[in-house]
Amino acid sequence: MKPLTPEQSMYTCVRCGACRDACPTLDITGREADGPRGRVLMARSLLEDRIPVNAEIEEQMSRCLLCSACVDACPVNVQVPEIVMLAKEKIAEHKKSPFLVRTLKRFFFNHLLPHPRRLQFLGHLLWLYQQSGLRWLVHKLGILKLFPDSAQQMEAVLPDLLPPSERKPLPSFTPGCSEQNKRAGKVALFRGCIMDVMFRETNRHSIELLARSGFDVVVPDDQVCCGALMYHNGQKDTTLELAKKNIEVFEKLDVDYIISNAGGCGAMLKEYEELFRHEPEWLERARAFCHKIRDISEVIVEQGTLPKAVGNGETVTYQPSCHLQYVMQVKRAPEQLLSRVANLHYRPLPESNLCCGSAGIYNLLQPKMAGDILHKKMGYVKETSAHVIITANPGCLLQMKAGVHSEGLQNSVKVVHIVDLLAESVERAEKQASTG
Amino acid sequence: MIEKIISELQRVIDKERVLWRKTDMMTYAYDASFATQLEPKEPEAVVIPLSTDEVQACVQLANKYQVPLYPRGAATGQTGGAVPIKGGIVLDMSKMDRIIEVDDENFQVIVEPGIIQANLNAALKKYGLFFPPDPGSSKMCTVGGMISNNSSGLRAVKYGVTRQYVLGLEIVLPTGEVIVTGGEKSRALKSVSGYDLAHLMIGSEGTLGIVTRIRLKLLPLPPARGIVLCSFPKIEQAIEGVRAVYHSGIIPSAIEIMDIYATRAANKMRPDLNLPETEALLLFEVDGNKDIVALQVKTISEALKSHTDYVKFSDDPEQCENLWQSRKIVGAAVGNLKPGGIRVYGGEDICVPFSRLPEAIRRIHEITNSYNIVCGIYGHVGDGNLHTAPIIDINNQQEVEKAKQMIEEIHHLAIELGGTTTAEHGVGIVRAPYMEIEHGQALDVMRRLKKTLDPNNILNPGKMALPT
Repeated sequence: MKPLTPEQSMYTCVRCGACRDACPTLDITGREADGPRGRVLMARSLLEDRIPVNAEIEEQMSRCLLCSACVDACPVNVQVPEIVMLAKEKIAEHKKSPFLVRTLKRFFFNHLLPHPRRLQFLGHLLWLYQQSGLRWLVHKLGILKLFPDSAQQMEAVLPDLLPPSERKPLPSFTPGCSEQNKRAGKVALFRGCIMDVMFRETNRHSIELLARSGFDVVVPDDQVCCGALMYHNGQKDTTLELAKKNIEVFEKLDVDYIISNAGGCGAMLKEYEELFRHEPEWLERARAFCHKIRDISEVIVEQGTLPKAVGNGETVTYQPSCHLQYVMQVKRAPEQLLSRVANLHYRPLPESNLCCGSAGIYNLLQPKMAGDILHKKMGYVKETSAHVIITANPGCLLQMKAGVHSEGLQNSVKVVHIVDLLAESVERAEKQASTG
Repeated sequence: MIEKIISELQRVIDKERVLWRKTDMMTYAYDASFATQLEPKEPEAVVIPLSTDEVQACVQLANKYQVPLYPRGAATGQTGGAVPIKGGIVLDMSKMDRIIEVDDENFQVIVEPGIIQANLNAALKKYGLFFPPDPGSSKMCTVGGMISNNSSGLRAVKYGVTRQYVLGLEIVLPTGEVIVTGGEKSRALKSVSGYDLAHLMIGSEGTLGIVTRIRLKLLPLPPARGIVLCSFPKIEQAIEGVRAVYHSGIIPSAIEIMDIYATRAANKMRPDLNLPETEALLLFEVDGNKDIVALQVKTISEALKSHTDYVKFSDDPEQCENLWQSRKIVGAAVGNLKPGGIRVYGGEDICVPFSRLPEAIRRIHEITNSYNIVCGIYGHVGDGNLHTAPIIDINNQQEVEKAKQMIEEIHHLAIELGGTTTAEHGVGIVRAPYMEIEHGQALDVMRRLKKTLDPNNILNPGKMALPT
């Protein structure tokens, strides 16, 4: 658990400026108000009633990506994103959103995300949209032009969903391969909600990769959404319900680790202990749960053995997820795994410490800032001459795809989840061994 | 009137880079100083220029309307030096941060002032070169800010201060002219032609001109470093130890001291460091090629043998990093000395003659004890520069008042011991009251210079005890 609450840490900021160079929004505009130090001061002034709730402060607070890079850089661990969240909560108390927005939000956060079956149904609809010619019609009629640029771009880069017939539940138990590897332990996969609908293939690859690296893998069917999107939109009650459900589900399993393959989900799961700071009856259980959370790359590097993996001779670069590097503190493992893949040229991405601008749904809410951040990021990608951009979180993956799209690089640059690249490289190595 | 100036500014500079809203003004009202934490000072407008022309346009407008103009880097200062104490316009120079040219054949680089020290050195690494002055804030401070304050840092004992590396500056004068010091087209590494205007600007804290380009001398990057860590039951023994090392014929690249409170704080934050909690802990760093480093580390350890019984040393990069950790974390760690307290900056960069160091440390402890304020001391003992770090509850008015008095006593102590109130962080508004005592008649010359160059008193007025 963090030593200080956000309220306490707000008062420990000495304005030394150590956070400045870590902040992606300050990097774009140079405005002090777009940096962590300015945000802490503004939030504090708002919480102390020294400035009123109004549109100006609301806009300032909504410009923060909540990426946590500043917390990582801060010598005294000021919890900037959580302080910004406190300010946002206060703004939300004073300002009622329009009826339609409230209804949509309630539907999305309370009636859709927490229910895996409903999400799967939405996945079916989306698949139908992509496959039935409706998408073609929507494009032809120019209906998308009614939506903002960022939404149009997101629509263009959505992955093709697997048909419902192929989106069967993930296997509840997969034994670890013991032929090449020693048994590394037993793990449970956290499959995520959107991840499981849109990136089912990545979840399947995650199970394969873990098993081939020596782990027995279980996937409990009754797990629910981690709650990150709800939490960041001020729906704390729903988040707590989901957290309790997940803790109950996973504590029944006798596993060494609970594995996440999405930086955003993993970071939220690690925050459960913090969520129950004031609920002693849940705190211990949350703590035990949090101690088991690992990112897939981290657990393979530390406990498993990546089998022989062979790339396709391509040049790759890696854009880390902020939640993975700053909240989960997984900084080196993904690159360590990439370095073990033969016939793959890895080039570090300059300024990879800075967020790509995805940040949940930030790219839809703040399209101008997110677009500027992404444009700069794509400049660095071009410097690496990479054919493949590797990410470790679905939001970053879609954002980087949007970047490739907007820069017209579709024919030369692919964006791939690290799990997919590793799983394919392991498979390639096996094929080569068997044929040759 | 400010509305008129803002609309004129927006005619010459991108609207997005001319700021005037309430929240923007709040965020330009401070730096890291205790003074501006207690009393923030808001500007009326902020401009983020991207070119010398834009800076010049701002200066011309400021003169036309007679409003103050405050050049600012990353606002990491600890003396309120770049804070707009009289309203007016802040010029946020941090987006002018390009490296214009690395002239590695001539061991120099031309940069814009907003570049961050650590980013400059990261870019120079591939040329095998570096810009040596390295303040503790190297990851956030700008090179322009370093020139304004003539900054130094841990390695000043061997490499000196910023002043020694400035070959030339492009400056927008307070009256709007743009000049280049050190020769318009020069790439010479030294010159005695004409008045040394660059050195007049360095350390002038933005009162005499706005730096827009900088030509810096670079040195070859030492390939290896070594560390010696040792502890002493008494401060006097530690100072004797430093003397012994100097007499062994070695100039370390850094000599750092931590008092018992600073050491305790570091242990609290990182128990694995397991530092001996004695009156003084010393860290020596040496650099050079690998063989020379190994030899120096050994010589220093030998020289210290008769002064201490606790010496650890290494020239292995990983172990060095570990030994160096205690010094690296101390600035943040001291905050843990008192729960609910924060470290405030005050009396934090005094410098005393080397011979008076033991007395200085003992008397600072006496002063802080008499006020019952927890305070760690660490610093660059090799040149007598001490960082005192009081930890107080800034929401407790009584404690704030006590701290202010205590800080004043520390400043007076520095002067009494034949030292100075500031050796790194500058004068700003915090050390202005001591300018007269420290400089006597020389302050009058400074005031005359200011008047000559800035007749309308446009640039950074109200600082350094210059005319208001």
